[in-house]
Amino acid sequence: MIEQYLLHLFIIACVYAILAMSLNLAVGFTGLLNLGHVAFYAIGAYTSALLAVGLGVPFWGGMLAGGCMAALFGYLLSFPTVRLKGDYLVLGTLGFTIIVEAVLKNWASLTRGPLGIAGIPKPRLLGLSLSPLPAYALLALAAALLTYWLLSLVVASPFGRTLKAIRDDEVAAGALGKDTFRAKAKALALSAFLAGVAGALYAHYITFIDPSSFSITETILIFSMVLVGGTASLLGSVAGAALLVLLPEPLRFLPIPSDIVGGMRQAIYALLLVLVILKRPQGLLGEDTLRDAWARARRRRKGA
Amino acid sequence: MDILPQLIMNGLIAGSVYALMAAGFSLMYGLQRFMNVAHGATYLVGAFAAYACARLAGMPLALSFAIAVLVATGLGVAINQLVYVPLQRQKEKDRALLLASFGVFLLVEAIILMVFGADVKSFGLPVRKGMDVLGAVVTPVQLVIILAAPLVFLGLWLFLYRTRTGTALRAAADNEAIARTMGVNVRAMTTLTTALGSALAGVAGILVALEQNLEHSMGLPAVLKGLTAAIIGGIGNVPAAILGGYLLGLAENLGIWYLPSGYKDAIAFVILILFLLVRPQGFFGTRRREEAGG
Repeated sequence: MIEQYLLHLFIIACVYAILAMSLNLAVGFTGLLNLGHVAFYAIGAYTSALLAVGLGVPFWGGMLAGGCMAALFGYLLSFPTVRLKGDYLVLGTLGFTIIVEAVLKNWASLTRGPLGIAGIPKPRLLGLSLSPLPAYALLALAAALLTYWLLSLVVASPFGRTLKAIRDDEVAAGALGKDTFRAKAKALALSAFLAGVAGALYAHYITFIDPSSFSITETILIFSMVLVGGTASLLGSVAGAALLVLLPEPLRFLPIPSDIVGGMRQAIYALLLVLVILKRPQGLLGEDTLRDAWARARRRRKGA
Repeated sequence: MDILPQLIMNGLIAGSVYALMAAGFSLMYGLQRFMNVAHGATYLVGAFAAYACARLAGMPLALSFAIAVLVATGLGVAINQLVYVPLQRQKEKDRALLLASFGVFLLVEAIILMVFGADVKSFGLPVRKGMDVLGAVVTPVQLVIILAAPLVFLGLWLFLYRTRTGTALRAAADNEAIARTMGVNVRAMTTLTTALGSALAGVAGILVALEQNLEHSMGLPAVLKGLTAAIIGGIGNVPAAILGGYLLGLAENLGIWYLPSGYKDAIAFVILILFLLVRPQGFFGTRRREEAGG
């Protein structure tokens, strides 16, 4: 029983780790404050679920299709939004989330509206079912590790350096001949692809999805994971995801009504978000912490 | 019966609330220079404080409203002092301020949820028959909303354009450095605009509470509509933001003539994205390069 519960938490943490890492590519490495990430997650989940339930497409095909569909939307979203800066980008991407949510709720002939999609099949691999929890946990772990590996390659590549240059000084990056618009569009598409994969992973695990799983609050939760962990730090995003998934769990065992638990859960991560921004803006494992620590150590040595 | 007058009337009712929110946003944006999402928290607290005073504590309506506006104002000022003022010193303060305001909003929403629970509440004013106004059916409460908003705006205008403090406030919003050299206390002005903006949000919250059901989740849509209205009008310009609020209310309600009503909320954001693309400075605004897209 307890193992089942821990494995469940592990799987959920893996899904969020993928979401946080991929969001970090846009937010931390490229400097795009994207509040539309949860929409990509939803698009991936719905694409994969509908393909599986409606057409019997196996999980692997659905996951790939979900990722590609999300990437397509990410690429399309980049046209109206990546020219925007700061607050305007935040609002534009937030608007995208709300439009996608409205479509999921209202296009009932496709998405079944607020009723959601039930009976999403669990994946199979080489004829074996991946429905036992340990098998699914391995699948989720493999997906999270692959995401980590892929994104660390990307951010260390010349393309990754272009993204960081755009983040630090877009005009200068443009002056050096980088096509900043295309680089940002590609970053957003890749970020969206991974969120779509996470969506498929979630949908085929829970086996039921409805629009309420992909609300704006969820966007802020993923954003908090990135911020608490540290922007531009992939390991930070993993740590942030694990922390924010696990931190409110003890509430489950307290004898309090469920809407209070929901409120406390939200209060905990909102408070954590505000405190981190106020007291440790670079996050727990932010990129410049080592440098800061180094500078502090040097100052101390000089002082001594 | 022709449906057009009714849709326009509904647009004016929704628009009154959006305009109140947008006016508050615009006022605060002038001095704080970021989109204060926690504006929705003051709105939410205004609505629930009025409900708690009038329905749970049994106070008279007028007293409840006064207390609710005061509580909303106090909350707005407290958030500014505790969170935004310390953040002004940070390196990446734009991002920090925006995200912190999101965090504060979610925290307040969570507290409201814990205190009042998730069930839908109603002010439970006696239901009166609607009257016929210019071919549309309007309830007395709706009439109060339609008339109260312009009165508030008149008061705001008199303050901003007919008093010394109002002039100082506009000067500080227009050019902080020059205002400071002319002896304007910019810090005090920031506190004052926060108080004013929060009071406006509190009023909006109360008006909505009178007419509709109260839910803890009603804050975010209100913030987003208010922001959208402010941008449609031209953020940082209070009268333009007010007009933006009415325009948004009308656009939404006329839009559901063609679209299923479930898409009502999405209409605002389609308009928003169009504006961000084509006219980020809004209908009446002038373009500032550093704020709009490059």
